[in-house]
Amino acid sequence: MLDVEAQKPPNGKWWTPPFDPRFPNQNQTRNCYQNFLDYHRCVKTMSRRGKSTQPCEYYFRVYYSLCPISWVNRWNEQIRNGTFAGKI
Amino acid sequence: MTHQTHAYHMVNPSPWPLTGALSALLMTSGLTMWFHFNSSTLLILGLLTNSLTMYQWWRDVVRESTFQGHHTAVVQTGLRYGMILFILSEVLFFAGFFWAFYHSSLAPTPNLGGYWPPAGINPLNPMEVPLLNTLVLLASGVSITWAHHSLMEGNRKHSLQALLITISLGIYFTLLQTSEYLEAPFTISDGIYGSTFFVATGFHGLHVMIGSTFLTICLLRQLKFHFTSKHHFGFEAAAWYWHFVDVVWLFLYISIYWWGS
Repeated sequence: MLDVEAQKPPNGKWWTPPFDPRFPNQNQTRNCYQNFLDYHRCVKTMSRRGKSTQPCEYYFRVYYSLCPISWVNRWNEQIRNGTFAGKI
Repeated sequence: MTHQTHAYHMVNPSPWPLTGALSALLMTSGLTMWFHFNSSTLLILGLLTNSLTMYQWWRDVVRESTFQGHHTAVVQTGLRYGMILFILSEVLFFAGFFWAFYHSSLAPTPNLGGYWPPAGINPLNPMEVPLLNTLVLLASGVSITWAHHSLMEGNRKHSLQALLITISLGIYFTLLQTSEYLEAPFTISDGIYGSTFFVATGFHGLHVMIGSTFLTICLLRQLKFHFTSKHHFGFEAAAWYWHFVDVVWLFLYISIYWWGS
């Protein structure tokens, strides 16, 4: 679940993340982080309700496009260790 | 032409500015030695020479004013400007620390979890000791106003009583805050939360101690009949400073303790 390779959707067209008016400025850190959080929260909630996690793919694509891969790897490592600071 | 024909005070040459500057050098280099090489000698020497400078310089001001009468109306006006400008500089000093707090807390970074208070921080309950501290300082603002009015009305007993109450409240605040510091579940090294909390409240606490000391000097001077009902600028300066300390606390309480929790 936390491994990036396992999360990659099937090959095909992958669009650029759309303009998000919540993050209008040059610094897009929060955009990356928020979508990372939203993806994991989406997966957790959908799984808990026994539903498909397919709608969560949107968040995955956005954060995967925006975030530096080193951040993603570090955060996934923290989630595995239980030291991730965000609320998921 | 053997006496001055103006109302200003031409102060006699004094060694205290030099000893003050030297003590500043000893304190700063002393801090460095203490931080990096675990040696307190220079620092203690600096603190000692600094205390001696302050004592002797201000003792001389009292001698020149109360005992020699050099503080005419214009001189007192200059001192008022001076105290106001000094307090203004202190306001700007604290403004920096409030800037730092708001910079970090309004846009918390991902490594804090993206929220404030940050992950893992249990802030102090603003409705417990911090609220008591607020009431203590507000009450001290009332008592010092009572002291001032008693002084202006020539009521010696009341002015002494009210000053004593003010100083006691200041000491009570310091004791309460010390206990909070010792009991707090977080330290200054707990990320940006710890840094902003302890630097801002720490400098405030230092100013409470300075203000309490200033008020104590006023108490001793009042006991020795230095003040008159019309001329007591030393007391007024102490009162201004004390109100400033109270206002800074109110900002700290609202921003860091209440909003920041």
